[in-house]
Amino acid sequence: MPTVHAPTREAGADHRPATPPVIRAGGRRISRAWPYLLIAPAVAGGVFLLLYPLLRAALISFQHFRMGELIRGGAAFIGLDNYRELLAAGEFWAVVLRTFVWTAINVVLIVGISTGIALMLVRLGRRMRTALMSVLALVWATPIIAATTVFQWLFQSRLGIVNWLLVRVGFDSFEGYSWFANGTTMFGVLVVLVVWQSVPFAALTLYAGLTTIPVELYESARLDGAGGWQVFRQITFPILRPMFALITSLEVIWVFKCFPQIWVLSQGGPDGATTTLPVYAFKIARALHRYDLGSAVAILTVVILTVALVGNLRRMLKQEGADT
Amino acid sequence: MRPRRIALNTAALAVLAVMIFPVYWMVVTSFKSATDIQSETPTLWPAHPTIEHFATAVGADGFWTFWRNSLIVTGGAVLIALVVSLLAAFAVARMRWKGRGPFIVAVFAAQMAPWEALLVPMFIIARDSDLLDSLAMLTGVYFTITMPFTIVTLRGFLAAIPVEIEEAALVDGCTRSAAFRRVIFPLLAPGLMATSLFGFITAWNEFAFVNVLIIKDQDRRTLPVWLSSFRDVFGADWGATMAAATLFALPVLIVFLFLQRRVGTGMVAGAVKG
Amino acid sequence: MTAGVGACGSGESSDGAPTGAGPTKLTVWIMDGSVTDELLEQFETEYESAHEDVDLDIQIQAWDGIGERVTAALASTDAPDVIEVGNTQVAQYSSSGGVKDLTDKIADLGGTDWIPGLAQPGNIDGRQYGIPWYAANRVVIYNKDLFAKAGIDSPPKTREEWLADTAKLNTGGDQGIYLTGQTWYVLAGFIWDEGGDLAVKDGDRWKGALDTPQALAGMDFYAKLQALGKGPKDADEANPPQHEVFAKGKVAQMISVPGGAARVLEVEPGMKDKMGFFPIPGKTADKPGAVFTGGSDLIIPEASRHQDAAYEVVKALTGEKFQSDLAKAMSFVPNRTSLAHVLDSNEGTAAMAAGAANGRATPNTPNWAAVEATQVVKQYMTAVLTGGDPAAEARKTSEAITSTLNNGS
Repeated sequence: MPTVHAPTREAGADHRPATPPVIRAGGRRISRAWPYLLIAPAVAGGVFLLLYPLLRAALISFQHFRMGELIRGGAAFIGLDNYRELLAAGEFWAVVLRTFVWTAINVVLIVGISTGIALMLVRLGRRMRTALMSVLALVWATPIIAATTVFQWLFQSRLGIVNWLLVRVGFDSFEGYSWFANGTTMFGVLVVLVVWQSVPFAALTLYAGLTTIPVELYESARLDGAGGWQVFRQITFPILRPMFALITSLEVIWVFKCFPQIWVLSQGGPDGATTTLPVYAFKIARALHRYDLGSAVAILTVVILTVALVGNLRRMLKQEGADT
Repeated sequence: MRPRRIALNTAALAVLAVMIFPVYWMVVTSFKSATDIQSETPTLWPAHPTIEHFATAVGADGFWTFWRNSLIVTGGAVLIALVVSLLAAFAVARMRWKGRGPFIVAVFAAQMAPWEALLVPMFIIARDSDLLDSLAMLTGVYFTITMPFTIVTLRGFLAAIPVEIEEAALVDGCTRSAAFRRVIFPLLAPGLMATSLFGFITAWNEFAFVNVLIIKDQDRRTLPVWLSSFRDVFGADWGATMAAATLFALPVLIVFLFLQRRVGTGMVAGAVKG
Repeated sequence: MTAGVGACGSGESSDGAPTGAGPTKLTVWIMDGSVTDELLEQFETEYESAHEDVDLDIQIQAWDGIGERVTAALASTDAPDVIEVGNTQVAQYSSSGGVKDLTDKIADLGGTDWIPGLAQPGNIDGRQYGIPWYAANRVVIYNKDLFAKAGIDSPPKTREEWLADTAKLNTGGDQGIYLTGQTWYVLAGFIWDEGGDLAVKDGDRWKGALDTPQALAGMDFYAKLQALGKGPKDADEANPPQHEVFAKGKVAQMISVPGGAARVLEVEPGMKDKMGFFPIPGKTADKPGAVFTGGSDLIIPEASRHQDAAYEVVKALTGEKFQSDLAKAMSFVPNRTSLAHVLDSNEGTAAMAAGAANGRATPNTPNWAAVEATQVVKQYMTAVLTGGDPAAEARKTSEAITSTLNNGS
């Protein structure tokens, strides 16, 4: 279907101006120092409150740094011992694997459901669309801690509405069922919570993207006899590919690093079934006072994420830095 | 086409119901009387509406102090992040300079920062600079947490504003800053609001840092810490807990309703340029 | 490279003498549920009127996340001046170097007959860091009306009787016993009764011992008892607070420190005179069940800026007057044996004293606090109670305990 492909590229082209237009007013060239002055505060903030603590964490990960050292100081350098201990323990690898599964399940669900909702939004009548968009935005704006508390209440074993509903529709075994006592169901509840919270942002963003696709493209595709799925695969998806890439990588980062929901709801339990890397790092530091080992986990988390997203970062650098 | 339309609307209604339900249930529970909550057959609507749970929540120790602290810290962090990010976003979106590419990548990468793991280094830094128990330190941390996303989004909004508008103003004799103030800023307002809402939500939620940075001076703690300890104190009292959660969500929802229209258009514009 | 990390400012200005301007503000951390508000206010008023140069700021701390907060406090440069810490946690802090050594004050504090269960964990290598504050162990609090209704006229003396009575009480809308799934102190008692332990020391190394036949027998009994009521299997007694559940009058028994009765009355004054106490029954009638001796010590952080003034507060809180008040108000065991007589007329503490004869402590290592913080024992209990294989779960948990005990700080 070449007729469909040709305009696609054109339409895609003006979505991402890779380099900024340079302003020249009356031939005056902007002083070279300006951009650096403008980014200076941001860089300063990042260096003092992100880079420096990160380097501190890296340093701690090479030290013997526990409760005593935190209080008295005088931590000894022990090289790679913490990393060795960590990598030798089966638990770490189990946590890494669990984190990948956790991220994959959530991101697939989030992107899938959001795409569905975005496509639905485009087709809805005006009033219905406004209503749905408002609800999505409302959910998006609900603070994580409040939402997490609500989910505890929804899934309560005795008076929770979820069990009540399930019993009502005939699943009698859910009478007084403890969702939080079993690793798999706890994991499931957390997935529902995170997906529920993440879908609005992704759906609204994708919807915004969909509205920029010229209607003519769809019409010509329809005339060519393309079905709904074909239209999505051959027009919608290619045009929105950069946006899908952005949303997917943002969601990967957010879900991978997701912490307060898990911590408040399950503290990584039961029996470690919901311990992902950030929870693991926090648990080691907080419960065992092994700040050294916790920092090593954190550094490895950064390394893993960077490796996972390195393609994305490189593409970004190429795109952004084309003519610097 | 008629049945299709109906199917579509039904599906939309189902999505709507599922999405809204947790929020709805939170609010409804907070208005139900204790006996309604304990009842074996839950009702969709409070049979005996009451505001006693809100009284319990508001009457809890330190509620207003925590509320105020949260507002100060969150508001401060969002404002600083907006100003700082706007400057940076402007440099990225409107100028060419050496190092621009790496800067953008660094900003994106900053979103990967493992904040929970920086608690101890942050504690040490705060201690060594005598900033424990200070709201300023918390504000600084939240500013840094929200900044990367703010820059990315604002840059998208800025890029969406045609450069010709700005040039025209400059030609008309405006100074650069005047051009920015009079021309760009009004166009950017929706974007600023959408971004600040995001920053607000992020900072409003944070509790891990409060626990290690605010130690002795408990009057400097914030609402999320209060909400989690509220559950310790009122464990079985779901009415009061839901009232507390509602009160916690309220400022964000108000800010949101207030900005809703602009945020909607803002998100569209910002997202496209991502 | 870590210059400055150690400069906690400790000991710089350890003297609390006010230098002219205004009273010294002393911050005191007391754990939630230790002391009634009323008694604390009374103490504050009296102390401040006796020491005009001191302004006491007493802050109530929640148990959740306390380890993290106390650690941060000890590591700060301006810590609270007095902190209450649980007797299972005091060893960890004492060995960290952040707590003031009060060895030379023992005589001044009347420490010759301190209760060992409180004094020992606060003592590391012969130096006394934690000052004993109060002790308590758990008893069974029962609802006299429900016992009468079931026709039980004397409390059970053995486990068999206890199970039979509880089953009899567990009818209609009434619960025989409200025992949550994660009340691990109670499980520890049952395990000790069987001759097992939570962990044992083997040479230099600790080893989790939940997978021994004795420990499994203890868990088995816990499960039987727990089934005779509606206590949630996935929570501990604080969620929801069990005294609130008991106050509704539909629960025949709960296992609690005697002070739990006072908290029931705060919720439901109508329960007055309806509550009785008996020691947790043992395997045979001649010996009550083993119980965990719980309690608290007081510490003064090295990072406190008013250590001398703080010491005076510790002295007052651990002194005879306040100890008597505390014991009476909360039915706690005072910190020294010579004060035991103040409890003579109290029914709840009589039951407690009977049980205390068979009191035990958690494994004596600073790392035990880390085991508590990881909550593995609680998770083990929930797993077994919700249908997990006890032997397999116990083995897994014991391994986790072993690794935590040998790898801690």
